[in-house]
This record gives sequence, C-alpha cells and structure tokens, in this order.
Amino acid sequence: MNSYLLLTLFLAIAIVFPLIPLAMAWAWARIFSPAKPGHDKQSSYECGIESTGPARVQFQSHYYLYALVFLVFDVETVFLLPFAAAFLNLPISAFLALMAFLLLLIEGLVWAWAKGILAWK
Amino acid sequence: MNPLLVALAPQIVLVLTALAVLGLGVSIPRARNAITSAALLGPILSVVALHLFPVHGLFLGGMISLTPLAGIFQLVILGLAVVAMVFAADSFPKTHFAESLALVLFATVGMLLLCATDNLLMIFLALELTSIPLYVLAAFDKASRASAEAGLKYFLVGSVAAAFLLYGISLIFGVTGSTNLHAIASFAGPSDPLLLVGIVLAFGGFAFKVAAVPFHLWAPDVYEGAPTAAAAFIASGSKVAAVFILAKFLFGALGPWAGSMTAAGWAPVLALAAAASMLLGNITALVQSNVKRLLAYSAIAHGGYLLLGLASGEPASLPAVLFYVIIYAITTAGAFGVVLVVEHERGGSRLEDFDGLAKSSPGLALCLLVFLISLAGIPPLAGFFGKFYLFATALENPHLLWLVALAIVLNAISLYYYLIVLKHALVLPSHEDRKAGLHGTRALVAALALLVLALGLFPNFFLTPLTQSFHPAVADEAPVPNQTHP
Repeated sequence: MNSYLLLTLFLAIAIVFPLIPLAMAWAWARIFSPAKPGHDKQSSYECGIESTGPARVQFQSHYYLYALVFLVFDVETVFLLPFAAAFLNLPISAFLALMAFLLLLIEGLVWAWAKGILAWK
Repeated sequence: MNPLLVALAPQIVLVLTALAVLGLGVSIPRARNAITSAALLGPILSVVALHLFPVHGLFLGGMISLTPLAGIFQLVILGLAVVAMVFAADSFPKTHFAESLALVLFATVGMLLLCATDNLLMIFLALELTSIPLYVLAAFDKASRASAEAGLKYFLVGSVAAAFLLYGISLIFGVTGSTNLHAIASFAGPSDPLLLVGIVLAFGGFAFKVAAVPFHLWAPDVYEGAPTAAAAFIASGSKVAAVFILAKFLFGALGPWAGSMTAAGWAPVLALAAAASMLLGNITALVQSNVKRLLAYSAIAHGGYLLLGLASGEPASLPAVLFYVIIYAITTAGAFGVVLVVEHERGGSRLEDFDGLAKSSPGLALCLLVFLISLAGIPPLAGFFGKFYLFATALENPHLLWLVALAIVLNAISLYYYLIVLKHALVLPSHEDRKAGLHGTRALVAALALLVLALGLFPNFFLTPLTQSFHPAVADEAPVPNQTHP
C-alpha cells in the first residue's frame, strides 16, 4: 500500500504545483493592484498603437505547405551531413539505403511540384 | 538477400505501389481505371509476397515478429484494404483521386506492421502510421463541412489517445526496463501500482482505436461525416489491427497483471469499459435516424463485446475474440458498401433514404439483410457463431457471468435498431427514382454477403487455421530476444 501512497502524493503535488503560481498571481492582483480600467488600459496593445481591423484574418494555406516541404528537406540535411562526413568508410549497402531515402523525398518533391504546390497563387 | 527485406516484403511492395500510384496521379490524373488497377495491384502483390516468403521469427530483436497468426491477420487486413479501395474507386471525387488510394495503401502498411511487432515503440509508430492517413481520408471530401469536422475530430481525439498510449508506454518501460512484450512478460516484479497506471493509460490509447467508452466520442461524427469508403476502412481495417495488437499487448505482455473482479489489474478495467460500451452503444443506437451514425453506435457496442472477451483473461477466449473481430470487420465493411450505394442513389444515408430498396435493387436489400442480421447475431450467419463462441469462452471465467448476461440482454435490444433499418429497406414503399451505377461496389457487397453466410455455415473453415496458428501464439512463449535494457 505504501507505493499507492506515493502515487497519491505525486498526484497531489501535480495538482498543487500549478495552483500555487495561479493563487499567487491572484493574490498579487488582489492586494497590490487595484482595478482602474480605462480606455488605454483596455485596448489590445498597451504600447499605444491603435488596433485596426478584426483579429480574424485568413492566412493562405500555401504558407503551411511551403513550410512542410521545407521541413522535409531540413530534416534530410540532418541525415545527409553525417553520411557525407563518413562517406569513405561506409559499405555499399549504406549508400543504397540513403539513396532509397533520398528517392522517397525526391518523389515527394516532384509530386508537390506537379500538384502546383510550389507555384504561388 | 537481406532477411529483413524478405520479412518486410509485403509492406515494401505496398509502399512502392503507393509511390507508383502517386506518380500516376500527377502524370495521368484522368485515367481513373488505370490508377485504380495499379493501386489494387498493391495488396494483391502483397498477398503474393506473404505466400512466397512465409518467414516466421523475430527480426531486429523483436521489432519485427512474424508468426502464422500475424500472417492470417495481415491477409485479412489486405482483403479489407481491397474492399476499401474498390469503394473509394467508385465514390471518391476526381480531384486528388490517386492520393486517396495511396493513403489507403499507406494506412494498410501501418496496419500490417501493427500485426507484426513485439515492441511497444514499434506498436506506437505503426499505430501512428495507420492513424495519420486515416485522419486525412476522413477529411477527404473537401466540399463537405461534415467531412472536415470528422477529420478534425478524429485527429484531435487521436492525438490525445496517442499521448495516453505514449505516456503509458513510458511508465511500463520505467517499471519493467524494456519495451519488448516478451521481456515485459518475464519481468518478475510485484504488482507495482505505477505499472498498473501505465497499463491503464496504454489501454486508453488502444481503446480509442477500438471505439470503446469512454474513448468513443469521435466514432459517430467520424462515421457519419467521413466519406463512406473511408469510414468503411476506419470501421473495419483499423479495428481489426487495433484489437489484434490490444490482445497481444494484454495477453502476450501483461498476463501476470490481469487481476480479477476482486484484485487490481487490467481485467476489471476492461470489464467496466466493456459494460459501458455495450450499454451506451446499444441504447443510443435505438434513437438514430442516420444509418451511418447507427452503425457507429453499433461499432461502439461491438467494441464492448470484444473487450468482454479480453476481460475474461482466459487464453481460451483469445481465438474467439480474434475470430469475432474478423467477422465483425467483414460484416461492417459490407454494410458500409450498401450505405455507399444508397448514398449514390439518393444522396443521403438517412433511414428514409433506404425506403423501397427491396423494390429497386432486391439483391442489395438481401445483402443488407444478411449484414444486419449477422451483426445482430442471428443464426445461421457468421455473427451468431462468433458471438456464441465469444460468450461461451468468456463464461469460463465465472466472475464474468454478470457481464455476459448484460451482453446477451443488450444484444437482444440491438435487434430492434437493426430491424428498423430493415423495415425501411424491405417493407416501406418509395416512389422516388433510383440511379443505377457503382457496379464494382455492388459486386463486392454481394461477395461479402456470401462470405458472411459461408463463415456462418462453415465456421471451422476459417476457425481451424486460426486456432492452429496459436501454437507459437500471441500469448505463448517465444524466445526472449537480446534485450534493449537501459
């Protein structure tokens, strides 16, 4: 039963831990900062710049696709760099394995290209 | 040749086919038939590879583990993938058509891997490889808001479930010091509460795939909103793979921690989830007016029946659970096929859309009768035998009498909502015209109905190889491979 006690303790700490800063923030606000709402304080940006237009604007999903294609080749570099550094000591099977890996990525790029994802609309 | 390449030949063939299909999709996007045939070649070649290289054994220290039982399940999943692709070929829109088939192929690769591994990390990877293409497939109908909602809900709930599973795996690894199922089974420690927490968390991850209460909330919206072909694959293929791996996880690795109705362990958790799933699924299905939604609640109820078999903790109930999930998957895939044709003819899947089906396409109505009666568990169809076998073996655990009694009562209730669908299809008249078409789907639905009938009349035809393959079984002792101890 002792280990169940430990588990309960763990759970209790896990609940209390985030509550402490919340309680402190609440107490701080309660004691030291009286509420004085005003036009400037309630604006979106307290730096003084007037906000214009609604917050909900549409993003082109193209940004997302670009980032995705970029990410693939970013990760590829992580694999290619050690491969290139140790190239002379590697067996032929390692070369073939990496070529298969590259082929998969390149097919992905060709597919994205043919689908017109790389052309900005 | 590298033995690993031979062992993974079915998966490699599928990946290569998927890449070829993607290539065809950008080079000849209009040649629908050519793309479909190329995609169908994938599972067929994969089955050939499965038969040409019947490799059994452990590879990479249990990362890949091939048993005869895994082979049977891979075969079933490949069959379900063919069904899903024929449905998709008949119903998916022209835009991104090749990609939809490639996604089915990628998901199939994940399911095959899920059946062929002994390692928790590989299980997680394979589960994600299965899920991610299915998320996309659920949201594939870009013109439909319901489809977008289905995809998003499936994705969000799925990611949370994946987090549950991963956290559970990390706790299990922390206590036992291994991610290999056999090594976990041979971990001779006391019943550590932390391990039980890990097991319950991991069960949560699997329960999402099985659509068991309380991880069922995604099922009705996804089944209803997703394109019907995608829903058919989610309901059949992914369920088969998930139940197989859950059974392997519980019986193969966690047998010592089963517990009982009186002792802590995973069996009481499963029993509670089973009872809740059966109650909620069967009772909520009574008031559904959309057949796809009704099938979703029926899927939740059937998830409950399957968990009941697992909760008994008896090794004898393992073949019954696995047999039943295969029968269930075949039947549900067929029922979704009928829904697909009705949707094509009437533009919807509400109960009223089924009116007069017997008049306009009697063959299809007969198939629907076979599927729904089998789901309700009425002899001589496969569903009856599967349920009988499942309940009979579960009763070997005397503590489970209450659960089996509940299951039988709820099963009788379930007949009502299946009969409501049949009343609309067979009895009520309709004056609307119906469109013809979808010949591939119609033929496949007929074949599935025959299969359900045949499995009901001659269950041994399939059950014998299944039970025989249990020799080096899921639950059995396999050589503990060289371990990855920390």
